[in-house]
Amino acid sequence: MELWQLPAWRITEAVVRGELSVSEVVETHLARLRTHNPEIFALLTVTEKEALRRAAELDERHARGEEPGLLAGVPVVLKDNMCTRGVRTTCGSRMLENWIPPYDASVVTSLEAAGAVILGKANMDEFAMGSSTEHSAFGFTANPWDLSRVPGGSSGGSAAAVAAGFAPLALGSDTGGSIRQPAAFCGVHGLKPTYGLVSRYGLVAFASSLDQIGPFARDVGDLALALDAIAAPDPKDATCGTEPRPRYLDAMMTDSLRGRRIGLVKEFSGFDVDPELRNTLVHAARVCQDAGAELVDISLPVTIGFGLACYYILAPAEASSNLARYDGVRYGLRAEGDTLLEQYFRTRGAGFGKEVKRRILTGTYVLSSGYYDAYYLTAQKVRRRIVQEFAQVFSGVDAILLPTSPCLPFRRGELVDDPIRMYLTDVFTLPVNLAGLPGLSLCTGYAKNGLPLSVQLVGKAWSEQQLLGTAAVLESRFGTPRIAPLETKTHFKGGERL
Amino acid sequence: MFRTTQSEEALCMTVSEDEVRRVAALIRLEVHEEEIPSFQRHFNDILTQFHSLERLDVTGVDPFAMDEVRKTLLRDDIPGTWNLRDEALDAAPVREGDFFRVPRILGEAE
Repeated sequence: MELWQLPAWRITEAVVRGELSVSEVVETHLARLRTHNPEIFALLTVTEKEALRRAAELDERHARGEEPGLLAGVPVVLKDNMCTRGVRTTCGSRMLENWIPPYDASVVTSLEAAGAVILGKANMDEFAMGSSTEHSAFGFTANPWDLSRVPGGSSGGSAAAVAAGFAPLALGSDTGGSIRQPAAFCGVHGLKPTYGLVSRYGLVAFASSLDQIGPFARDVGDLALALDAIAAPDPKDATCGTEPRPRYLDAMMTDSLRGRRIGLVKEFSGFDVDPELRNTLVHAARVCQDAGAELVDISLPVTIGFGLACYYILAPAEASSNLARYDGVRYGLRAEGDTLLEQYFRTRGAGFGKEVKRRILTGTYVLSSGYYDAYYLTAQKVRRRIVQEFAQVFSGVDAILLPTSPCLPFRRGELVDDPIRMYLTDVFTLPVNLAGLPGLSLCTGYAKNGLPLSVQLVGKAWSEQQLLGTAAVLESRFGTPRIAPLETKTHFKGGERL
Repeated sequence: MFRTTQSEEALCMTVSEDEVRRVAALIRLEVHEEEIPSFQRHFNDILTQFHSLERLDVTGVDPFAMDEVRKTLLRDDIPGTWNLRDEALDAAPVREGDFFRVPRILGEAE
């Protein structure tokens, strides 16, 4: 087995025992990145020098007998909307193409304190708006399982990096499915934690009441390990909960689901879902039952029927407000104008891509005078109904099992000019953000054409430990996800502009 | 069901090209004439989706949904130091000493 095939927990174990040096681990992953990133284009920035320097420093510290952290020697990739001091953070946008943050996001500080090594910054849909990573200003990330297909989005680069074996662990952010859907498309696991579990300090804001940072991995144990490193109270984020976090790795001790009640959503049968994704869901339900869980039919009519419309009012509204800060004055791009007003208009016209413009226009419209009550306020009320509906369902079940995505990864260019159809691919993920709940996309195998299959588990707020336990039981039956072979030669290549 | 006529009107109308220009102006966004039809089409497509919300009764529902998810967290107001002033200023497109340089504001035409 090659070093780049190891899960994070095995790397840490070997580093702690002195069987592997951090430098060896980092060099191996960098070599794989150098070979394959040009065709996948998962990373926008590779921090090779910094990573090697840090690896050497960690090796010295271990040699001096210093306590290695939870993620000792683990290479990690960050979505490029998390601030890294001294390393450019683009958000996939021309607006921030050359922006170098003066500080680290709290998750970056946590990862480094745990002994992880950051390899670089991953491609993403501009300002995290999109479901295919085709809306990056810097080019297209290829799905490692089929280079002509999209990796999902918006954290497509992070998911593709883990699927391609560039790193065992990556962080993404999820506002409506942006961790879970790319995890599903790239055949890795992805976890969107409860709103407020992980600090958002230093995460460039898209929709502040929905955004949450979470990990990608090829092993459920690695998701738990990552959460143990990054889930902590943070006075710098007023929405980050102060509750003590359990040890998530303890969830891996579970091998039975006896006493657990798993809900299956009735309304989902009315959706056009890929037959193989339907089958894998039935299979997963059977696995839960065999492990001792009781299956319960549940109904989420408001959530499934109205979640999408509600989300596409609220998220753009919040985005239009959050993105008002890009004015060419304090940071980022400036397009000169004769007056300040002209400078604002030109800067924003030149710096934002088409999808971002669509969303901030929609968001401004639904907030504007005369429309606020009809759209924004109504959507807020619908959101509350969704929160209440989930609460009611969770009084009778411990977790809900449903698809992550209704479809397998689509081809590059297939939906890029049809935003509404693209939005529909998030129909099963975005209600989870509206309700602030944790959701986990688990890779369950491969379709006949070789593309990855997945299911989604949704839990009660703050139930990540139990959710990870359930996922671990499923993984023990389905097997851990494979690294994409990267042998398919097609004329498609990542990095090309659409 | 919506109760007010204003809401019903808002939901039934289609968006004109001028409406797109008006909203773009509100958000200080330069849009080129050739982009407007595609934004207009998108507006109308997405507003059609929003009409589905009409079918749901939300009378009497408190709109502040997040109250149920997270309570407001308070902490003590303790002053701290922030040593990144220079780096933050350096990130500006045009810095002049301790200031951000922008085009003239005072004396602009009314």
